[in-house]
Amino acid sequence: MSLTETAQQIRRRDLRIPLGAVLLVIALAAPFIGSRYVTHSLIIALIFMLPAHGLNLLVGYTGLLSLAQAAFFGIGAYTAGLLAVTYGTPFYVNLLAAGLVAGAIALPLGIPALRLRSTSFVMCTLGFVIIGQAIAKNWISVTRGDMGLSSIPKPHFALGPLSFTVSGTMGFYYLALAIGVLATLAVWAIVRSPAGRNMIAIRENETLAESVGIPTWRYKLIVFMISAVFAGVGGSVYAHYLTVVSPLTFQMYYSTTMLIIVLGGGAGTISGVVFGSLLFVGLTEALRITPELRMIAYGLCLLALVFWFRKGFSPLINRFWDTVGGAK
Amino acid sequence: MFSTILEQIVNGIVTGSVYAIVAVGMTMIFGVLRAINFAHGEYYMLGTFGAWFSIDYLGLSYEASIVVGVLSTIVVAYVVGKLVMQRMVGAPAESGVLATLGIALVLQNTVILVFGGGYKFFSGGYIEPVSILGFSLAQQRILILVVCLLVFVGLELMVTYSRMGKSMRAVSQNVDCCEVVGIDVPQVVLRTFILGAALAALSGVLTAPVNVSVYGGMGELITFKTLPIIIMGGLGNVRGTFFAAMILGIAESLVATYVGLQFRDTVGFATLILMLMWRPHGLFSTQARF
Repeated sequence: MSLTETAQQIRRRDLRIPLGAVLLVIALAAPFIGSRYVTHSLIIALIFMLPAHGLNLLVGYTGLLSLAQAAFFGIGAYTAGLLAVTYGTPFYVNLLAAGLVAGAIALPLGIPALRLRSTSFVMCTLGFVIIGQAIAKNWISVTRGDMGLSSIPKPHFALGPLSFTVSGTMGFYYLALAIGVLATLAVWAIVRSPAGRNMIAIRENETLAESVGIPTWRYKLIVFMISAVFAGVGGSVYAHYLTVVSPLTFQMYYSTTMLIIVLGGGAGTISGVVFGSLLFVGLTEALRITPELRMIAYGLCLLALVFWFRKGFSPLINRFWDTVGGAK
Repeated sequence: MFSTILEQIVNGIVTGSVYAIVAVGMTMIFGVLRAINFAHGEYYMLGTFGAWFSIDYLGLSYEASIVVGVLSTIVVAYVVGKLVMQRMVGAPAESGVLATLGIALVLQNTVILVFGGGYKFFSGGYIEPVSILGFSLAQQRILILVVCLLVFVGLELMVTYSRMGKSMRAVSQNVDCCEVVGIDVPQVVLRTFILGAALAALSGVLTAPVNVSVYGGMGELITFKTLPIIIMGGLGNVRGTFFAAMILGIAESLVATYVGLQFRDTVGFATLILMLMWRPHGLFSTQARF
């Protein structure tokens, strides 16, 4: 026995594959277990998971607190809505276009905004949401102002002779699930790549990261754009699910919701975002909590997160994971 | 033509006075805490609701409702200050943003939950028009101007001469040194915060008769308009805030008349972004303090 004891390496039984399989089965079977309303709540949670994943790359991995996510969510929703209503383009085209447009708009917005630090950056990104709402309200010839866009068609797929329309709640659930899983895998790929490690380096110490040769400015800008792409994609799914888009898509409410998902779930963890969107959006939706009570709960959660649970509620999941995984 | 412009400018100055009274509290809080108070507009809303409640439910006069509105806000601010704001001393900037956003959500939605989200009619105030130099101006607007001037003269004197003002300036310069020389930093933070919230509430009660409608979400817009003002004024700069508020008030009123009413609320944010880009230290400070 040595005199100094190094930190004990926790070895777990590798339960990732069985647990993943169980989760997959639950996810696939969910619409058969729960009522239609529960399925609806899950769809909303899955939709909000997309911009939250983007925000997580920004807040959790690169360390930039942004409130602009609702602006890109709105831009995505309007892009998809306008394309679908005006040109009748299919769902997947709208989805891609929404992501690309949001990402492209993020470039000219990000260049000035990212020169700012901490609080100034927050205020600036908040400005994007307010200005986005003003544009959606007042550019009436395109956005139809306060009336918004209505009767956006449900997703329709056509592959040669095969064609089907996703209309029911259950059908949409699987569509949202597929997109959600793809988005989660995409985030996982980004985070696991060397780029992901560079992002974490920027979060931990930007000056040091710069000094070891990481092009921090370019990284921040690209991550800002990627997060906008995620938000735009989320917005397009939202538009197709609700079939209406109004200027109210540009709201602080959405930015706050996305922020609470990321911070509450645990910024800088992928499972945290998935957990956070299920807890903060899915559960509150399923329990039919009034918006006011929900916002009060979010507010109290934010305070709790800032002062007590700095790492979000995900350490609780990790503890569960350790128990289930059997830490030796 | 000329008189319309002049009338709009006078209107802008009145709006500017309202903003100035709210913004000066926010800028002082920033001074001692180094944190933007994203909940600041909610105290404006609380003050207005306190006054509306005391007129509509308790049947008090407008003068008494001013007192009720401000006092009830002070009570809320005391609780929030003790529980939240004092913890923010020395905390990273992000914590301040998130904590105050959380407070804003709680305050705003509690009011909506209790009183409902609809618009309410505010029935107090002095709305008789008086004519001065050929203008007709509601008495209430003159009252707002007078109160604004009094508040700023009072604050200027307080910050320069009183012990409280001196300790506020000390805290805004160096927290650690304050602790060394025995200034009770959490106490100064609490007092500054309550003072700022009370001023916001006062501004809300004074504006209510002009705006007529009262609703739970009204604070958010005020917070958003206060941000460009405190940046323009230079964070922590009381005198600068006054002029910045006037500039925004006049600009908004001119834009509302000559460009379109719907663009009024964007003026502030366009200003905010431009200011942050090119003069983040404000119009009146020569160098960046933060």
